[in-house]
Amino acid sequence: MVDIRSLSVILENKIILEDINLKIDKGEIVAIVGPNGSGKTTLIKTILGFLKPSSGIVHINGKLPRDYIKDGKLGYLPQKSSFDAKFPVRALDVIMFGLVNKKGRKKDKEKVAREYIEYVGMGGFEEYPFGKLSGGQQQRIMIARALISRPDILLLDEPSTGVDVVAQENFYEFLKKINQENKITIVMVSHDVGVVANYVHKVAGLNRRLHFFGRPREFFQTKVLESLYGLDVNLLIHSPECVTCQHFMPDKLVEGVKH
Amino acid sequence: MILDIFTVDFLRNALVGGVILAIVLSVLSLFIYMKSWSFINIGISHAAFGGLAIGYLAGISPSLSGSIFAVIVGLIIGYLSRTNKLHEDLSIGILLSLSMALGVVLISFSNNYNSDLFAFLFGNILTITTEDIVLLGIFTLFTLVFFYMFFDKILYCCFDDELAKVSGINSELLYYSLLSTVAIATVLSIKLVGSILSSAMMILPAATASQIFWHYRKILISSLLISILTVVLGIVISFEFNLPSGSTIVIVYSLIFFILAITKRILRLDV
Ligand SMILES: Nc1ncnc2c1ncn2[C@@H]1O[C@H](COP(=O)(O)OP(=O)(O)O)[C@@H](O)[C@H]1O
Ligand SMILES: [Mg+2]
Repeated sequence: MVDIRSLSVILENKIILEDINLKIDKGEIVAIVGPNGSGKTTLIKTILGFLKPSSGIVHINGKLPRDYIKDGKLGYLPQKSSFDAKFPVRALDVIMFGLVNKKGRKKDKEKVAREYIEYVGMGGFEEYPFGKLSGGQQQRIMIARALISRPDILLLDEPSTGVDVVAQENFYEFLKKINQENKITIVMVSHDVGVVANYVHKVAGLNRRLHFFGRPREFFQTKVLESLYGLDVNLLIHSPECVTCQHFMPDKLVEGVKH
Repeated sequence: MILDIFTVDFLRNALVGGVILAIVLSVLSLFIYMKSWSFINIGISHAAFGGLAIGYLAGISPSLSGSIFAVIVGLIIGYLSRTNKLHEDLSIGILLSLSMALGVVLISFSNNYNSDLFAFLFGNILTITTEDIVLLGIFTLFTLVFFYMFFDKILYCCFDDELAKVSGINSELLYYSLLSTVAIATVLSIKLVGSILSSAMMILPAATASQIFWHYRKILISSLLISILTVVLGIVISFEFNLPSGSTIVIVYSLIFFILAITKRILRLDV
């Protein structure tokens, strides 16, 4: 599905990503984790074709990102906590944006959009000004917008930022559901290593280089964590309710984690 | 008395030209409102000064040289703000001063300093000719067809450029097309009504309508109505009371804006 080979990205003479090799299969949920500034967003933007590789290649289904994008088969949720609150559209209009490049009458598109707003649990908010929704609600609408175009792959950049913990767990639960129901490949950037591990097939530990790529259980081995975060495992950000990580982490590390 | 208006040639032209302008500029005003481009029309119109000066001095059509200059300046502004993340307003400010200065320097070289240049800057809706109306009509037709075909896509790009791109939309092309359309509309409307009224007609309709409505469709329809009403009212009032028509229209626009803004406060409308 996504095939990244020897990818390096240099921005303003700084090596942001170095020699990344990553293969994501169809139907997988992959979490990209790593400290702040480790290049997660850069990797997503390179997969999208917004940033050019300095060397190496990115292929999605055998195509270059800029060609793949033209088919509208890619769903993307940017790292953004809120949108222009004054932008004059309804929640439903935003979902319909996802169909803008598809043929069909507006009436029919609106009907489909009404199904999707239910699907993401936002029924009742159809006519509501999008800018006045909460961060989490906007995110759901944005997901519906991405899903309505029936993408093969969904790229989410820190989708849980600004969403409270309970909603977060729901959200991952929801992602798992759409992954299973629609066989959509999901690549998401996340801060919450502990939480996310329960919902993904694979974890990609990124810090300029790809330090780890494999199943979540293996990820929580001391060696991997240390190579990714250095000795300062405190960098892992956890919510107070986060107990998940304790199942995975060696005892001595749990102490070091900020709770 | 109202009937008189339609029998007087220049008034009929002013009304027809004014209404067409009201239509095309209030459609643009919606996008200027959404993009927070309110400064762009003022910027382009001042930048066009350089283009107009070149046209007058070189003896070529100022409309043409002004349009070309405005489009180029508009595209440069767009390019700068897209690539350097420079905010539109800042880059406009830089180009604006440069072009203004260029225009003034060019004019200072000319001995037969042309008063038409100032008519061009301040305009007069009562001097609209049939020829002007035809040119304006053609431009309006093209613009409306453009918006009819790409409205949803442009809206999506205004909402979020990157997301639109991921959805397979050529957001760059649409962005530059929109910018060029605004630039040409600015120059054409300056020639007809002067820069002050041109800015008012491109900024105030959507800004006014957004005082009472929040959804784009309602903003669009009501700004069209407000704008047409204002232009007709302004021309009629200025004719009846022998006032300068451009200024009268601007005053009517501003009055409606303030009335709606105050009404909104009083009724505590949450828009
Ligand atoms: N356009 C850019 N030009 C130069 N440096 C950049 C650019 N975008 C990001 N960076 C740098 O690249 C590094 C990685 O950024 P980013 O990918 O946003 O990290 P993350 O999403 O993991 O927090 C940071 O040090 C950031 O300052
Ligand atoms: Mg990031």
